[in-house]
Formats: sequence, C-alpha cells, structure tokens
Amino acid sequence: MSGVEIRVGLSSCGVASGGEAVRDALVKAAGGRALVKAVGCNGMCHCEPIVQVLEAGRPVALYGKVTAESARAIVGRHTRWWERRRTDLPAVDSEPYLGKQKRIVLENCGEIDPGKIDEYLARGGYEALRKCAGMTPEAVVAVILESGLRGRGGAGFPTGRKWAAGRAQTAAVKYVICNGDEGDPGAFMDRLVLEADPHRVLEGLAIAAYAIGAATGILYIRAEYPLAVRNVREAIRQAEERGLFGSGLKLEVREGAGAFVCGEETALIHSLEGGRGMPRLRPPFPVERGLHGAPTLINNVETLACVPWIMRNGAAAFASLGTAGSKGTKVFALAGKIRRGGLIEVPMGITIREIVEEIGGGIQGGRKFKAVQMGGPSGGCIPEWLADTPVDYDEIPKTGAIMGSGGMVVLDERDCMVDMARFFLRFTQAESCGKCTFCRIGTKRMLEILERMCAGKGRRDDLATLEELVDFVSRGSLCGLGQTAPNPVATTLKYFRDEYEAHIHEKRCPAGRCTALVRYRVTDGCIGCTLCAQACPVGAIAYQPYKKHEIDDALCTRCDECRKVCQDDAVEVVSPC
Amino acid sequence: MKGRAAGVVVLVCVAALTADYAVKIAWTAASDVRVAALQEKVRADAGLAAALAAEQKKIADFNQARRTRINWLSLVLIVAAAAFLVEQPKAPRRIPEKPQKAAGVRRGGKPVVTGAAAPEIDLAFVDEVVAREGRGTEAAIPILQAIQAHYRYLPDEALRRVCELTEITPAQIAGTSSFYSRFRRSPVGEHIVRVCHGTACHVAGARQITDELRRELKIAEGEDTDPSRTFTIEEVACLGCCSLAPVVMVDEHTAGNLTPATACDALGEHA
Repeated sequence: MSGVEIRVGLSSCGVASGGEAVRDALVKAAGGRALVKAVGCNGMCHCEPIVQVLEAGRPVALYGKVTAESARAIVGRHTRWWERRRTDLPAVDSEPYLGKQKRIVLENCGEIDPGKIDEYLARGGYEALRKCAGMTPEAVVAVILESGLRGRGGAGFPTGRKWAAGRAQTAAVKYVICNGDEGDPGAFMDRLVLEADPHRVLEGLAIAAYAIGAATGILYIRAEYPLAVRNVREAIRQAEERGLFGSGLKLEVREGAGAFVCGEETALIHSLEGGRGMPRLRPPFPVERGLHGAPTLINNVETLACVPWIMRNGAAAFASLGTAGSKGTKVFALAGKIRRGGLIEVPMGITIREIVEEIGGGIQGGRKFKAVQMGGPSGGCIPEWLADTPVDYDEIPKTGAIMGSGGMVVLDERDCMVDMARFFLRFTQAESCGKCTFCRIGTKRMLEILERMCAGKGRRDDLATLEELVDFVSRGSLCGLGQTAPNPVATTLKYFRDEYEAHIHEKRCPAGRCTALVRYRVTDGCIGCTLCAQACPVGAIAYQPYKKHEIDDALCTRCDECRKVCQDDAVEVVSPC
Repeated sequence: MKGRAAGVVVLVCVAALTADYAVKIAWTAASDVRVAALQEKVRADAGLAAALAAEQKKIADFNQARRTRINWLSLVLIVAAAAFLVEQPKAPRRIPEKPQKAAGVRRGGKPVVTGAAAPEIDLAFVDEVVAREGRGTEAAIPILQAIQAHYRYLPDEALRRVCELTEITPAQIAGTSSFYSRFRRSPVGEHIVRVCHGTACHVAGARQITDELRRELKIAEGEDTDPSRTFTIEEVACLGCCSLAPVVMVDEHTAGNLTPATACDALGEHA
C-alpha cells in the first residue's frame, strides 16, 4: 500500500449521479495500489460524483463530475509516477465554495465512512459522551445553555432551556426523540448528516438522554430517506456492540409514513403512538407531557449534531461564533437557480448575498438574481434588495420569512412569484391535517384564488380577499403549519405586488412562467438549426432545416425546452398571449 | 349453548313478572271492593272490626310476598340477561370499503368489474409482522409499513387480519392509512416512479417532467398507473436531492438533472 487514499462520495445524491459506477471503476483501477473508501457527501452537490485523493505530504486533490473513464485516469495520476503530470482530469477548486464556510455539524461529512464506527472514533467520536459521563447532568445542561445553541428545526427555541425543563421533570420514565422528519421541500440537511455522519447524531442524542435522565431514545426519520435509515440502524448496532451508550440507554429508529405535519412535535408524538399525526394544543409542552404521557425531549437532527462539538470544544468556542442572539453555525441546503448548489455550513451573521454570490457563485446562465426562498412552505421570499440581511434568528423574521430548517432556494427572473406562492399553498393545503377550520378551509380558498390568477381568471377583489385570509389563517390555526402557511403569500404580496396585479389586470405573467398566460414564439434571429424541433417532446415544431421555425400553439405544452436548447436566443415568451 | 339457556331464562322471568303484575291488578281490585264493603258494615256494627283488620292484614301479607317474589325474579333476570349478552357471538369487525374510483363506477352507482379479481393473498406474513412488532396500538404504523413493503399496497384482507390479531381497531387502521401519504389502498404497477415536486424541482420544471411521463406512458386523467400496469406515478414532496433537480426515483434508483426529453430515459430498461 502506497498510502494513497481515494474517497468517493456515496450519499443519495452521489449515488443518483452515478457514484457507484465510479466507485467500481476506482476499485478496479486501483487494484492493491490505493485504498478506495466510500464516504458521505462533502456538500458539493453541484459537482457530484466527487472523488478526493489523499496522499501523504501532498495537498488533498478534489475531482468533480467524475465518470468511470476519468476515475481510471485519477487512479493513474496518483499511483504511477509517469502519469503524475497529466492535466486532463476534472479537478475542482473547492476554495470558493468551502472557503467561507465553518464546519461544525458537517466536520466529518465527506471525510469518514459512515458505516465504520472506528473512523468516527478516530476523529474524536464519543469523546464528548465520555466527558459528559464524568459530569453531573445539571452541568451538561449548563454547558448547552451557556453555548447559546438554539433549535435548528426552524423556531429557534433555546435548546438549553428545553433541556433544563426536561431535567426538572420528576417522572421516572422520560424519552428523548431526534426529529429527522425533514419535510420541507427544498431542504436536505438532515438527510445528509444522517447519511454521512450518523454517529454524531447518536452521540448528541445519548448526551441529551443523559442530561434529562431518559432511558429510551427514538430517531424519527422520514421514509423518503432509505439510506439514512439504513446507516443509522447500522450505526446503532455498532455503537451498542461496543457498549458506548452504557446499559441505561436504548435507541431505536422509527420511520415516518409521509406527513409533513409530523415535523411538529405533538403531531410527531401522535404518530409514534400509532395514530393520525395531528397536533394538539400546547401547553402542556411535550417536555412536560409527551410520548405515552411521559416527559419527552424533542430535538432536531442538526441541533443534536452540534452537541458533541460543544461538549468537546466548550461552550465558549461555540458562543464565539455568530451574532449576539444567534450563536454558532447554520447548515443550509442551497438549491434552485444557483451555480454551485449543495450543502453549506456558515457562521451565523453572514449575509444572504454572500451566500448566493460568493459561495453559490451567483445565478446560472448569468441571469438576474430575483429572490431567495427561505424556510420552505412556512417561510417566505426575500427579494434581492433585502439580500444584505444577515442570517440570524432575529433578523430574518423581520423580512417576513423565517430562518426555517435551512432550505434556501434561489430564484431568478424567470420564476413567477404568484406561481411560487401557489406551489407552497398547494403543498400546505394538501398537508394540512384538517383539525383547524382556518387552516383546512382557509388555505383551500387561498389556493383557489391563486389557481385562478395563474389561469388568467383573477378578479379585482382577489388581492383584498387574499390579504384577509392571510391574517385569518395565521391567527386561527393551532400549530406552526397553519400559522405560517400564509407566509409565502404574505411575503410575495408584500414585495412583488406588481406581479399579482399584472396577473389580474393584464392577464400577463411577467416572468413568463404561468402556462395559461404565455405563448412561445420564434423570432427572426432563428437560423433554422432544428435544435428546438428535436428537443420538442410533443412535436409542436416542424422539422424545417434552414428555415425559420414555427411553433404550433395548439400542440405546445409550454415546457420551455425549445428556449433552453436554442443557441441564438431566438425563442421568446410572449405574455399576454 | 349457554347463551341460549340464558335467553330462555330471560324469557321465563319476563313472562312470570308480567303474569304476576296482571294477577296483582285483578287481586287488588277485588280486595278493594271487599274492604270497602267491610268498612260500610263496621260503621253499622263495631263487632266486625276484627274481620276488617284480618282482611287488611291479608292484603299487607299479599303485598309483602309479592315484593319478595319480584325482587328474586328481577335478580335472576339481570343475571340471565348479562349472561345472554356475554355469550352472544361477536359481530365481525368490518373495515370500511374504500370508495370506488369514479372511473370504475357507472352512473347508476354499480361498480364495474375491471380485470380479474384480486389474487388470493397469503396472510402468513401478517401474522409474522404482528409477532415482531407487537399487538399494541402504537405498533400500527410499523405494521402498516411492513405490510405495504411486502404487498406493495395495503390489501383489505391483510388489514382485517391485523384487526383480528391486535388491539388496533378498524377505525384506527382506516384513520391512519388514509392520513399518511405513503400508504396505498389500491394495487400498484410493477415499478413505482416517484417524481419529486420539491421547491427546487418545481422551479426546475417538475411539472413538465410529470406531464411528459404521463403522456409517454399513456396514463389516463385521474389515474396513476399505466394500462399495462408496469408503472405507477407518484408525486412526492421532496426526495432531498435538490441540487440535481428535477429528480425522479424509479423504485430505489434516483435519476437527476432531467429534461422532458430525457425524462423517459430515467425509466431505464423497464420501459
């Protein structure tokens, strides 16, 4: 063995981009000359599959968008001296992407094999748990309180206070639950942490159990994340085999069954009890009376993943990061019309513009940055002119959006804000459990109005009705889902009212997105290259080489393919049609 | 058998009580007449006072005896009725039938039989799952998940078996299975195609991908499975592969960065 270690990222997204074929090619090419290791994803999803090569005495080499062929070349470059100078490799510079980041939760992601506990132990794993065993539970709670850690699930409740409340309960039976029901469309932080570094979450959960005195820990994980479930189950098995949790703690995994509302703590408890996941009125809070009536501490995956780092490095080190009210770092899932999407971890207080333009590399195709959607269906759209807002639990809500669990979807000038509002309303409407009238019927009425606008049938009084409903639904609902469901509408109405008015009064979609309001047309710039005719999935463009193409309106489905493939920007969207 | 005996006892008691009541009414009417006549006579001849007293004592004794009789009969009736109810054969628990899809119902409301009847289902698996997951109500979701993973949907027979074996009621099964989007009550095609409709996939054109797949597979409006029952299309909230948007998951295999033109390639060799 020459001491060369090749790491290939095999989280769900890596596998989806063909990572397994790359791994096989690497193993075959390496033979015995290098160690090929499957690791979790390092967050650079935009250039998956990713291969990292570590050699003693040399800087880490990073390759992106690796194929089976380039995998062979990479192995050659690092194991044969005569190939050392070859340059035809898909090398990636990670500095612009990783430079501004500060990794606490993701420190091991992309570095260790999630299936091997020894690798986690070698990087200081379970040290924090051992350290806690030598402290009183009260002292552990005090450290968390001092660190200023706030719940990463979205609401930002101080974790230490929750733990202290759990500690204060005198009941004999208590539970700790790790909430991995990451339902926000557009967020995948929890998936990646559970897939790439499951032991970190288990360690955090074990510390929480020790701090409040619970004997049972449950990890509630979304069923859409089969790999995460598999990795966590395996991690529990290995940790129990080594007796790392002692005899007092039993951990189990429960899979969700597909309901967004189960991310809400009381709904999650109902789901664990086998019923419909419907929230109930709080108080009593779950930490007083939760699962089977016993005190239950529920923390988000990312919150728990911060805990081992805090216990190892001290509360002061964590509190030194971030702003006055929000300490530490936050993981975001950067997606949408961004050049470099993926998972990032940034210190609190960084501005949205820094994230989008520096880490994310700006908008794809050089188009204009329009807005950022934060917080998923409970959040809102922050327009470009407010992009200097810092990432902070107190600053973000001032814009009308919420910090949320970390979904950050970047929108460009071709995204219609009315359509975005409709998208989220459709989601919350479908996911509303139906308990509160305002949420059940109010969201339905709002959705009907938005559907009508997108179809070009908006009425003059629709905006007034929408505003009224925004207020009613948020005040008349019991849980976070209903209270925040109108946020996407409220923020887009606030910042992009002109788009709503264009839909209603002019039957025009300014972004050219609402299919009922647009028509595609080929301009005189067409050179007759037939690319669009080939790309059209419904054959609405006749194959006429060297002639200006024409689009048959009746057949056209407005799928935007022709505009995307055209090299000469000769396809335009006309609205109103 | 015991149930029938208890029923007979109940009937006998009821008959005895009714007869007793009738006798009492007739007897009271007769004795009232006699007492009234005696009282008339006593006013004229004080020597008959003893006869009146004897008559009144007779009435009091009769009432006393009757009260004792009725008490005993009522006690027997209550015990027999309780035994009768306990011994009743239980009414079979029923799971509400899933309403037929509009397409399968004629205007008259009669369901149309489409295709062959569902194949016989081997329920041994259900027994196995219940043994593994437990019989309490909190096991409902893991049991349903296991059944769904095995049969690929939730067959009514299997659900009925779960109700027989566990403390889970048909109401709970119906409530839970209809609440969560992962549970299906109708059979699926050979492969499940999950089209991600998360935020990132939405802005990247998930709608167009879904439309194209439906068109290519010739899936009718309001249906989710193609006529040959090879593919079932599901729209899911988010598959968590946002940077590869738009994403489609065919069974366990995920494909990303699709366009309407390449969407069908994701179906791979199955198509």
